[in-house]
Amino acid sequence: MRNIFAVAGIAIKELYRRKDFYVLFILTILICVVMATVNIYNNPDIIRYVKAICLLLIWVSSLVIAITTTARQIPAEREQRTLLPLLAKPLSRSELILGKFFGCWFACGLTLLCFYVFFGVLTASHEHHWPILNYFQAAFMHWIALGIIVAMALLGSLVFAAPSSNSTICFIIAAGILFVGRYLGKVALQMHEPGRFIVSAIYYAIPHLEFFDLRKLLVHDWPLLEWKFIWLAAGYGAVYMFVFLVAACLIFRRKAVN
Amino acid sequence: MSAILKTEKLRVEYKNRETRQAVKVALAGLDLEVNAGEVFGFLGPNGAGKTTTMNVLLGFLQPTGGTASLFGINVNRPIARQRIGYLPEMTYYYKFLTAEEILRFYSKIFGLPNAEAERRINDVLKLVELESSRKRLIKTYSKGMQQRVGLAQALINNPDLLMLDEPTSGLDPLGRMKVREIIQRLKQEGKTVFFSSHELGEVETICDRVAIIHQGELKAVGPVHEIMGQRSNLEKAFLDIVGYQSQSAS
Amino acid sequence: MMPNRTLLLSLAALFILSFGLAAWLEPQFQTLSFNRDLPDDFWANLLDDSRYLLANSAYVTADEYYHSGYYPTIFDNNQAFETPHMAEDTGAVASHNSGNEEGFMGPPRDWIDAFGRHFIPNRHTHLDEGGPTDDLSTSSKVSEILPWLKLSAELDPEDVKTFVVTAFWLRTRLNQDNEAEQVLREGLRSNPGNPQLLYELGRVYFESYHNIPRARTIWEAALRTWQAEAPNEPLSERLKPGIENFDDRFIYEQLQVSLANLEQAAGNYQAAIDRWQLARPATPVPQDINLHIKDLKFKLSQTNAPSQISH
Repeated sequence: MRNIFAVAGIAIKELYRRKDFYVLFILTILICVVMATVNIYNNPDIIRYVKAICLLLIWVSSLVIAITTTARQIPAEREQRTLLPLLAKPLSRSELILGKFFGCWFACGLTLLCFYVFFGVLTASHEHHWPILNYFQAAFMHWIALGIIVAMALLGSLVFAAPSSNSTICFIIAAGILFVGRYLGKVALQMHEPGRFIVSAIYYAIPHLEFFDLRKLLVHDWPLLEWKFIWLAAGYGAVYMFVFLVAACLIFRRKAVN
Repeated sequence: MSAILKTEKLRVEYKNRETRQAVKVALAGLDLEVNAGEVFGFLGPNGAGKTTTMNVLLGFLQPTGGTASLFGINVNRPIARQRIGYLPEMTYYYKFLTAEEILRFYSKIFGLPNAEAERRINDVLKLVELESSRKRLIKTYSKGMQQRVGLAQALINNPDLLMLDEPTSGLDPLGRMKVREIIQRLKQEGKTVFFSSHELGEVETICDRVAIIHQGELKAVGPVHEIMGQRSNLEKAFLDIVGYQSQSAS
Repeated sequence: MMPNRTLLLSLAALFILSFGLAAWLEPQFQTLSFNRDLPDDFWANLLDDSRYLLANSAYVTADEYYHSGYYPTIFDNNQAFETPHMAEDTGAVASHNSGNEEGFMGPPRDWIDAFGRHFIPNRHTHLDEGGPTDDLSTSSKVSEILPWLKLSAELDPEDVKTFVVTAFWLRTRLNQDNEAEQVLREGLRSNPGNPQLLYELGRVYFESYHNIPRARTIWEAALRTWQAEAPNEPLSERLKPGIENFDDRFIYEQLQVSLANLEQAAGNYQAAIDRWQLARPATPVPQDINLHIKDLKFKLSQTNAPSQISH
């Protein structure tokens, strides 16, 4: 664990020393503050559309940060040859993969914390109440989704040679699942074989990231979710993270690094 | 003397991805032993298999056949690298970190306690003369300074075996002198140094034993004076052993 | 690689900043008379015909907000929500909803579908009826639909129903009569003399301002415009029952019935009876109108009785 956290610490440091996060965070603040100041028929308390836009920007920003940060980890280590002195230490390749995963995931967690605190301040300024537990549920589920995406991007970085192609593929997969993942089962029923079988297989195989998207509940002030569903979803997410990481470790274990 | 670095019938073949047929034999059954406390020069022309041997010893590359061990432990096990320091031929370090941070990171991987780590960081930074730049980001360092960071990280765990791949390549004369001094100093401390180099004059002055490899095969191994034999310098011996014939001679 | 990304992100930041500034300055430009037509041109130039698509999307989003996010997608049974609920009450559109609105998703198909429903809005509620918390004190939250209606109206100012729906909610649930009037006047600038907008404007004057003469003038103007839309077509033809002319008949009926009520409120019973009689050919429930007429005739006789005595 010591080695894993040492590697994770480097990934976290890298994130906060690069400018990507700051640019996206400031952009989100700017857009939301401007949107919040628009006068809607003299109703100063209207906020849900700002909440929706803010959460959309948070999701997009977090996906950008998670995928681009993770996708470049191993390829950058190889390209800049920092992998050689690193693996010449008593560090196993699995520890490196896990360290990179936890580093990127924790780094994403820190960025989410900043984003959701801003979201809370923005909405509280209009709604005059602060449903902290609802925010926590949404942020936690969001973080689990990012964990799956980070693990997927890490696996992709070992399969695809270029970080840009890996990033693009991960974006398409993540966005595709978030938009239509829920409906693939329904679509499959309207298809003929073998399309039906293929789409059904995809439906059951993909990680259903849409479970973790609680934006609508947060925007429209739905009551708190039962915690058992949150933990079940977290367990579901953990299974996918585990599968992706095991695959990544198996691929990386026998890969020549020189 | 006990061998702390050992290879037995080490074989590495590079295969064609489609046909899976061996297209190049990088190492053809290499047997090598490096004893504790000696400075061992690993020589060979470009493409002879020096870096491939280093890569197998460091676990970067899986051999096709044979075994390799460090301190009696198979190189596939990470623990085999606990007591070694490694300086790659050309390398870059995390540019978003300072020298101090990178050394702290590596010391964590070696499991050094915090107080011990801080002491070692001070020592190695002093040794490579980077004390005054320790809090600067590595991206602001010159090439020579980056090479010295490399040496510092290779020494952070006070290794018993130091593996250096072309340690003086790309350095100015002062930098080369510094590296030579460090190797001599480590030798005096009883450390083992295993390094590859094209600088045969350098090898001649600091090595106890050398091995010459050519086309993946070990051509000669032994003390420098034995390898040289009746020849005036190591370069001539090297050229004879690898079978080089000058065009004027032919 | 890194400088390129930074450059791109910086450009994106500048782009967003420019848009933000434009959005902030736009209302101030609106106050300048020479720039009144700017928004129409702006959206038309920027989006061309796709603005109609976006306008419709914004309108549907308003309805989704009215249901606190409980809304079908293209993959669900849309029949349940064929008519946006928020528009139903306004009279701007006729109701076509016929599906099972409580469960448009149908029964869960598998465990993924069943489990996933815990994380999305899964109950049919209306914002003005307490929303998902069933707390009636929060019914003013219906104002949350307004940004999308405003956007829809800006994108497609020729879509009358958006102005009507917006004005309805502003006036009836949010007690913002002035804003409702402004919205309708804005709609009339893009759709001069539109009977439906005039009808709603008349309601503002009659129901909110209680200005009977002004309401009467507006509704009569609306009727004139309605008649002018098909000057050569006989009234009987235009009011013939049928789905194709439903909207046309519906607005005529609304105007005549409103004028009848207005005259009744003003004490002009005979004029009110005349209006009910004019409304009768357009209504699917003439017997109700007959009851009104009967009632008014009785009231008229009561009013006239003392005068007859005096004669």
